[in-house]
Amino acid sequence: MKIIELNSVSKSYDGVSVLKQVSLAIDQGTRLVILGPSGCGKTTILRLIAGFIGPDTGRISLAEQLVAQDGQVLQPPEQRKLGMVFQDLALWPHLSVRGNIEFGLKANGIPKPARAQRIHQVLELVGLVDFANRQPTELSGGQQQRVALARALVLEPQVLLMDEALSNLDLDLNVRLRKEIISLQEKLGFTLLYVTHDREEAFAIATEVVVMQAGQIVQSGSVKAIMQYFNNLLEAKIIPGASLSSVSRPHKTHKPTNPLTH
Amino acid sequence: MTKKALFVIVVGLLFIIGLLPVIAMFVKSVLVNGHFSLTPYHGLLSSARQWTLMGHSLLLATLVTLLTGVVGVPLGVLLERTDLPWRKFFTALFVIPLLIPPYIIAVSWFDLLGQDGLLTSLLGPVVTGFTAQYLFGLAGCVLVLFSIFLPIPMVLTIIFLRTINPRLEEAGRLVAGWRKVLGSITIPLILPGVLLAVMLVFLFSFGEFSVPNFLRYSVFPVESFLQFSAFYNFEAATAAAVPLALVALMLLLFEAMFLRERTYQLSAAAGLAHRAVINLGGWRKVCFALVAGTGFILVIMPIVILIIQSAGLAAYAEALHRAGDSLMRSLKYAVIGATLLTVLGFFTGYLIQTKALRIWRIVDSMTVFLFALPGTVVGIGLISLWNTSWTNFIYATPLIILLGYLAKYTVLTSRISINQLAQIPPALEEAAQVVGAGWLRRMLLITLPLARRGLLAGWLVGYIFALRDTGITMLVYPAGYETLPVRIFTLMANGSPQLIAALCIIMILATLLPAGIWWIIPGLKDSVVSK
Repeated sequence: MKIIELNSVSKSYDGVSVLKQVSLAIDQGTRLVILGPSGCGKTTILRLIAGFIGPDTGRISLAEQLVAQDGQVLQPPEQRKLGMVFQDLALWPHLSVRGNIEFGLKANGIPKPARAQRIHQVLELVGLVDFANRQPTELSGGQQQRVALARALVLEPQVLLMDEALSNLDLDLNVRLRKEIISLQEKLGFTLLYVTHDREEAFAIATEVVVMQAGQIVQSGSVKAIMQYFNNLLEAKIIPGASLSSVSRPHKTHKPTNPLTH
Repeated sequence: MTKKALFVIVVGLLFIIGLLPVIAMFVKSVLVNGHFSLTPYHGLLSSARQWTLMGHSLLLATLVTLLTGVVGVPLGVLLERTDLPWRKFFTALFVIPLLIPPYIIAVSWFDLLGQDGLLTSLLGPVVTGFTAQYLFGLAGCVLVLFSIFLPIPMVLTIIFLRTINPRLEEAGRLVAGWRKVLGSITIPLILPGVLLAVMLVFLFSFGEFSVPNFLRYSVFPVESFLQFSAFYNFEAATAAAVPLALVALMLLLFEAMFLRERTYQLSAAAGLAHRAVINLGGWRKVCFALVAGTGFILVIMPIVILIIQSAGLAAYAEALHRAGDSLMRSLKYAVIGATLLTVLGFFTGYLIQTKALRIWRIVDSMTVFLFALPGTVVGIGLISLWNTSWTNFIYATPLIILLGYLAKYTVLTSRISINQLAQIPPALEEAAQVVGAGWLRRMLLITLPLARRGLLAGWLVGYIFALRDTGITMLVYPAGYETLPVRIFTLMANGSPQLIAALCIIMILATLLPAGIWWIIPGLKDSVVSK
């Protein structure tokens, strides 16, 4: 099933076009990474899917249900069953770790005993059971990252959106958390849509990659195909950069499904 | 001159202009005929009337605070976060009463609801007998002060909402509707701002004397004013001012202890342009009607009443004839005061922002404390210090009025400067430093030009507050140097309603015309409202 579909979606801010007729279809259970430089429109795609903004033109469907069309948001964010980890994490500073995770459960009317159980489970999943009563500001960068992940996953979303979520971490922690995210995705089976400007990070996480530039998708395909694409550009001296052949691959290789159309 | 020497002079000036008068006032309150005595306090504390007045003041301040908080915070949310039509217009509209002398709104309501008011001519004396009964007293004072101080929680709510990282709300929106997000995330995040706003409203309502004086509701600040101006009992006036200063001090200590550090990560609010707006849906028309109705009753109607009451050129001709000199004086003092406030505020702001002296936090608290003091207290403090034969060149000249402006309003221009300076990357000044520019050259050629919008905004705010000032000026103006707000206030006793209304309209125009510049020049508002 196509869990996310964008059909000829365009978006502009104050007359400046940030997305131009973008079409994209993502299969359930995929780890798709949108790769591109700052300002290419990749975060806008996440915000459109989340429902924070509506497309000027085009259609967006989630789990084959139309959620936004031609300037209209048909389904508000809270009804889309999505999880999201923001670039700056956006942990609520006035709530404890438990409070941050519990917020969504409360808003969805989950009874107290079930909430406590779910919070414990998700904290166990990210290895933060002993930190439930801490304030986010009392945690390290990596721990905060895990809280954001736990908060996004506690409602068991079908899709997890991550907006440059590891970009503020040092390289060692970044690499460690990539592995944890992949492991969580494989264990829980959600669809991961990850946005980054870092090629190495993209190839480490993704099963499929979409390359964006200036509001358009310029290439898409399997990790191997996109690596080849960049190497070809390098050989043609179109872009500077090191060879990508040494980049480590994720643990599990998905069968190429060619889920992308544009 | 070294950098440190300049800032020591700035701190010295602030101390002499602002704090020393308050200290002098306190010292004088315990000196009778040159000897230590607590007699004035004994008289004050043993008088049942004084306790009644204090009770009235606290009741009035509490009611105004509750009402402005309950209405102002939701109004701020509506104007900042929703798709309500005409949001900018309404924001500007509701701010107007705060920019003009407080008693002008009271005069307007009197012209409508008083015994000889417009309502009498429409509905007869029976109705106005009833309304006048409520206008003169607690209810009238609450209504007028509510309309004057409503912009404080409204504007602070708007400012603090703008400082919230939009992602914090979006993270909530993924799992909950706007109502839940506002209640559990947004409002708790701006709570320090809301508490600051209601604290300011409490202090201002508590210290306000012109409105209760006009509407004949006996409160503590009126007592201080009357003891000085009517009974010439300076000891009693000083003793009556000290409790007002103590209340201001206690509330500010509370603010310093519990609110000043509770700003979380509110200062980093990138991506505001793409912040999600609350769609009011079916409530849009209802909210619009409510906001428009409130704006009409609290702002437009009082001004229209004054225009109707002053109808005809004769009233304006008489107004200019009788108070033209006061108007020109007001404008002159406001221009000079605003310029001095801009200069002192800039250096004070620079000192605080760059932590140029170790006592920067004390300097900041001192300016906040002086702003929180009732105008009458500042006025009595200035008289306590400068009313000597040696300092007559200050006490008997308009210098005393200018010192009053500097004492009370420096915090406004310094805060605007701090905000503006915070937006200038330190690297710009450092780049000048590495090529050999001294600090004065860096400040004059790099920092000042970059902070010009903040300086202009600060000047306008200084001008407005100097022009509208009544509390300080009423007490300290030397004979023959009265300003327009003082002139109107004194004419209210025996001037015709048409004359008073015309003077009020002239006063409003003198204030609002420069304020209009604020809305016209792009980016000027942001130099004040963004944190």
